[in-house]
Amino acid sequence: MADERRIVPVGSGVTPGYSTKNGGFFSGDVDNGVLVMKRVSILAQLALLACVVKTVAQEPTWWSLRPLARPALADVDPLWCTSDIDRFVLRRLRARGLSPSPPATRSAWIRRVTVDLTGLPPTTAELAAFLDDDSSDAFAKVVDRLLASPRHGERWARHWLDVVHYADTHGFERDKMRPNAWPYRDWVIRSLNDDVTYDRFLREQLAGDVINPGDPDCVAASGFLGAGPWDFVGHAETKSPVLNRKARADELDDIVATVATSMLGLTVHCARCHDHKFDEVPQKDYYRLTAVFAGIRRGDRELRPGWAAERERRIGALRRRIRETAGEIRRLEGRGLDLAAIVGGGDGFTAGEKAVGVDPRSGERSRGKVGFLERVEVNRFVPSELPFIDGLVIPDGGVRGARRVPISSTGLVVSVGDTSGGTWDHVQSGPVASQDTTVLDGVDFDAAGHSLLGLHANKAITFDMAEMRARHEGFRKARFRATAGYGGKGKGTSADFLVFVDAELRASAYGIDHASAGVAIDVGIGRDERFLTLMATDGGDGISHDQVFFGDPRIVADRSRSSTDERTARALVALARDRDALRAQVSELPEARKVYAGVSSNPATTYVLQRGDPESPADEVRAGVPSCVDAVPGRFGDEVLSEGARRVALAEWIVDSAHPLTWRVIVNRVWHWHFGRGIVDTPSDFGRGGSRPTHPELLDVLAMTLLERGASLKDLHRRIVLSSVYRQACSGNRRGESIDGDNRLLWRMSRRRIEAEVVRDAILATSGVLELRMGGPGYRDFRYVEKYAPIYEHVTADRPELWRRSVYRFVVRSVPERFMATLDCPNPSSFTPVRRTTTTALQALVLLNNPFVISQAKLFAERVEKSVEDVDGRVDLAYRLAFARRPDDEERALASELVRAHGLFHLCRMLFNASEFLYVE
Amino acid sequence: MHTHAHPDHRQGRRSWLWSVGGGIGGVALARLLCRDGMLGADDSSRSELPHHAPRARSVIQLFCAGAKSQIDTFDHKPELERLQGKPFDASGKLRFFASRPGKFQASYWKFRRHGECGRPVSDLLPHLATKVDEMAFVHSMVSRSAVHGPAMFLAGSGFSRPGFPTMGSWVAYGLGSEADDLPAFVVLPDSRGVPPSGPANWGAGFLPAVYQGTTFSAATGRAAIADLFPPEDPALTPASEAAARSFLAKINRRHAAVRPGDTELEARITSYELAARLQLSAPEVTELSGESRATKALYGIDEKLTDDFGRRCLLARRLVERGVRFVQVWCGADNTSPPRANWDAHEDVRRNHGLHGKIFDRPAAALLEDLRARGLLDQTLVIATSEFGRMPAAEQGKGRDHNPHAFTTWMAGGGIRGGVSHGASDEFSFKVAESPSSIHDIHATALHLLGLDHERLTFYHNGVERRLTDVHGHVLAKLLVGP
Repeated sequence: MADERRIVPVGSGVTPGYSTKNGGFFSGDVDNGVLVMKRVSILAQLALLACVVKTVAQEPTWWSLRPLARPALADVDPLWCTSDIDRFVLRRLRARGLSPSPPATRSAWIRRVTVDLTGLPPTTAELAAFLDDDSSDAFAKVVDRLLASPRHGERWARHWLDVVHYADTHGFERDKMRPNAWPYRDWVIRSLNDDVTYDRFLREQLAGDVINPGDPDCVAASGFLGAGPWDFVGHAETKSPVLNRKARADELDDIVATVATSMLGLTVHCARCHDHKFDEVPQKDYYRLTAVFAGIRRGDRELRPGWAAERERRIGALRRRIRETAGEIRRLEGRGLDLAAIVGGGDGFTAGEKAVGVDPRSGERSRGKVGFLERVEVNRFVPSELPFIDGLVIPDGGVRGARRVPISSTGLVVSVGDTSGGTWDHVQSGPVASQDTTVLDGVDFDAAGHSLLGLHANKAITFDMAEMRARHEGFRKARFRATAGYGGKGKGTSADFLVFVDAELRASAYGIDHASAGVAIDVGIGRDERFLTLMATDGGDGISHDQVFFGDPRIVADRSRSSTDERTARALVALARDRDALRAQVSELPEARKVYAGVSSNPATTYVLQRGDPESPADEVRAGVPSCVDAVPGRFGDEVLSEGARRVALAEWIVDSAHPLTWRVIVNRVWHWHFGRGIVDTPSDFGRGGSRPTHPELLDVLAMTLLERGASLKDLHRRIVLSSVYRQACSGNRRGESIDGDNRLLWRMSRRRIEAEVVRDAILATSGVLELRMGGPGYRDFRYVEKYAPIYEHVTADRPELWRRSVYRFVVRSVPERFMATLDCPNPSSFTPVRRTTTTALQALVLLNNPFVISQAKLFAERVEKSVEDVDGRVDLAYRLAFARRPDDEERALASELVRAHGLFHLCRMLFNASEFLYVE
Repeated sequence: MHTHAHPDHRQGRRSWLWSVGGGIGGVALARLLCRDGMLGADDSSRSELPHHAPRARSVIQLFCAGAKSQIDTFDHKPELERLQGKPFDASGKLRFFASRPGKFQASYWKFRRHGECGRPVSDLLPHLATKVDEMAFVHSMVSRSAVHGPAMFLAGSGFSRPGFPTMGSWVAYGLGSEADDLPAFVVLPDSRGVPPSGPANWGAGFLPAVYQGTTFSAATGRAAIADLFPPEDPALTPASEAAARSFLAKINRRHAAVRPGDTELEARITSYELAARLQLSAPEVTELSGESRATKALYGIDEKLTDDFGRRCLLARRLVERGVRFVQVWCGADNTSPPRANWDAHEDVRRNHGLHGKIFDRPAAALLEDLRARGLLDQTLVIATSEFGRMPAAEQGKGRDHNPHAFTTWMAGGGIRGGVSHGASDEFSFKVAESPSSIHDIHATALHLLGLDHERLTFYHNGVERRLTDVHGHVLAKLLVGP
């Protein structure tokens, strides 16, 4: 029945689907959360039919699907042409009546090629060496040096990570961290530095874990399948199976779209709801590709199978020995006074009760587990009348521990690190509310024979030793012993604890979390010392899981120097040493590293989903490849393949040397990243929705040469950057502008603003503080607060660990970093085959005023001031560091005037804003 | 069919500039820069904009994050009162987002008829109730997801996945700003925090970064925009600032002078001039002290509950007054710790909506009244929406779970006919009963009023000429003034 409101006007852009299953045209609509199909009117059907007929009538084989062909070589200008690249470009130029531009200056060329191949500007030494090198292979030497530099992989990995939309968090509403995403990023860097063949580069990303499961490197490559965003609530949290299925369909769609656009330049994802509008991709083909990944789910997986189990086994054995040693220590030193028992209402020898505590707001005894505390007053010491307890306080360190926290009735104060204020629970004998674990190093401190003092951050309790000594004999000189740990379960959230004696910090641990081992505390308390304070703080990242606790917290008599029992004392020292050594062994065991990737499971049956709706499955489909590439048949056999075998079959199909897309797509990408525009300027779309190549023959020659020369990307780079085309100057001329203003035919090089990452790296390199440490977890330039929806607050990169190259940034999907985003760093949730460049007032503001730029300009000025005394010399050096050249006389005069009037810092800040700094030509 | 991009279709504005002038004067460039705030956008698809005569000049979007209950505000369901307390799902088969349905739960607030149109509005919103003759309601809204994240993406960008441009960025892309010293798209987040999914709600997706919303902070004056001014620093004085900026202008001009004809370099220089203008205009527009006491009182400024939202509604008016194209005003932050700082009333509707109704009601009504009094309402489209609605059954006794099957959106001003409605939900407001509508229809209608055809405002990305409305969207003609 025609729904009048939904009739599609002729010629409109509304594009309903054609369903072969039910026959006829339908418009889709959302009804009660599901898509329903409504038959549309005859008129609208005719209009649609016309569109379909038009599509079908297009040319039989689209250019990108034809086999690679080697065209005849154009023989032109042997003086200018050094390679096929030059010959094909020059031929097109001549055909349009254009001629190439003169070569760039040597300093322009080395800046161009250095930024292109390594993402950093050349150093003054590199520049000088090149300018002084008269040998015929001076250019080639520079290129070889740059390609051999580890900086090369870092630069080009960023390009690939754009294409596959890599980031370090899930995205969506609950944008949780992926602390194990980075091994994939490191794998990309390493592979490009090692120049692994391009077929291997692709094969390992699709199925490295199947081909070589024992090799952690190959397994890390499967991070490719996990690169995109993932909806935690839709997958894991909601109780609704309909929403689970939708999230799953979106996950598979993201994987398929990533594979097809990055490796094939094929927009297969357009066929999720209906046959592709422009390309020969029927909807069924989309689901055949989906079936390849039907057993893949995103999550953490071990880099080496069995690694974690082996580690657990060894830890288990060590912990047993730690337990035995600790038991022996306890036996020798006597039981001492139990602080948990004191909190629980006992006198230290007699046990207290569990689930009894002390309220930090009143200092009074409380019963039962509590929860979040309302109406707290921070940094106010609350004295307690309870035996042995001097009082309590809720510490708020404020920013950088600026606030002083009172910790005793006598007015002692301490200052503590960042906290986010507030607290949960009372000081508790036994575990606090919702505490996840009471076990440390295999000892359950909640079990019989042990005791536990629960101290959920942010909180401190101070015990009065004077009172204990008055009541009990033998504690004039004493020791406080306990095992401290983290009882919460939240990942990515951590806490600190601090132990003070008379306001002097005697023991502490920062950033302990649910994965941390127990921390042994053994603190001496002198005969004149009175107050023992135990404090837990949240480190500024929120308090919800920061359930710090102290296992077997005891005051014992200090017998270590007592001559009456020297043998026992010696034994205790030896035992303590053994125990510490065992604990050290536990913490030194290498982490069982993981990677966030595609995790293999038994694949479910795949169905074509009508209108892409998971609630409307139609025909069953088997794994396969898009039928439009008929030059290379998919080898999926007649049997239903196992999960891994499906991915191997797809990988082999993609890297087949006869594949018309794979090789064209990669040479075009490399070309795009060198020239700012590809031969096809839609690098992830080689279909009819994309552009046609400006130099189709060159594209094929590049692809075939890549294949012939062993699929080495470095070889391809070398050939491109040593070409005469690449060596041209940027300067325009009227004839060129009037015939080809957009420079699509490459009659000159195009000036390009450097990308956000390159701006940041160049600033750090210029100020002299760039940290070149490679690999490992990304730097986190944000404050993280664990909440239902995690909070990321970016901070100014003001310390060395945040001065690493931008490719090592921990990329948060939901909250863009302002400096980077303003400079066009793309949204990491969308595929970015092409970086777009804008020129805006907000960019000017961020480059002028962002605290990062200000602080780096100061470091830049310090660097220059340290090496040169006089103003002119400083101006000279600043120019050489920023622009790789000396200032001319007028520039020197202008700059010196600014420096003399206001200081070098102002010059340095403005050099970061100069067009010459921000553009490569 | 929509027109489909060909390579030359995407040629930059750059070559065009060369052909009109060789070199181009700062004045012409400044105009170009201001319109977009940028230069060099792909724009030939926009050469014919607007597509038709616009009714509205700008849009103010009031977004109630966390999902406002339609049942307790504008969608009156007497049937619920009759069934109050009876089990909603006797079969026990239904499963909502976070719970199984409890008992039928009628509105916590009494409904009364208001205005000449006689539309029922609950007592939760007494001030807005007096404006019903300005407002048009869509009672048949449906979302595609009952999860905040995807539903926020859908409400903002027309897609339930991340990475797509939001309505404000599409409008900025299509029309730019009318102001020559303010951004086209400004965002005013709740002072309690950003909404679910964060800045993606005003992201530009794959559109150039210039089209993303510029956030104005709760602070006024020099702190209105991040990095508007350098941090406090004794080394930075007005004199040093002037000398340094003048030095920069000189070296950038010298650099450009030996590279004639490069409009990109000219644009870079002009962007610094525009930045200087923004340093004047942003503190001016955010400074509310010049507003009369009566105006401030109207918005509930200086009163505890309404101060924050009231200030931002007043700021929204000041921004559209100065030619800003799209202002997004948020009522509600993310789900972080209890009590929830948004409309996500799982636990207790009376408490949650009781609070948020008070926050929202007076400032929103004041905005309509103030715009009307200043003659701005006819050219300013006001849209109030949520990512979805809430269920007619109780959750945990006092709350309501997410309902993507039926909710209400309202619009006013800018060519919208007041006092009318479109579509209807069923007798419980559980599902839509008549003329289902999606956010795409709201987007299509908003673009239409701005003079834009939602099927022709496109941008090529990843194989598709993308639209705000994907392949959906119908202009809700019934809600428009005139023919």
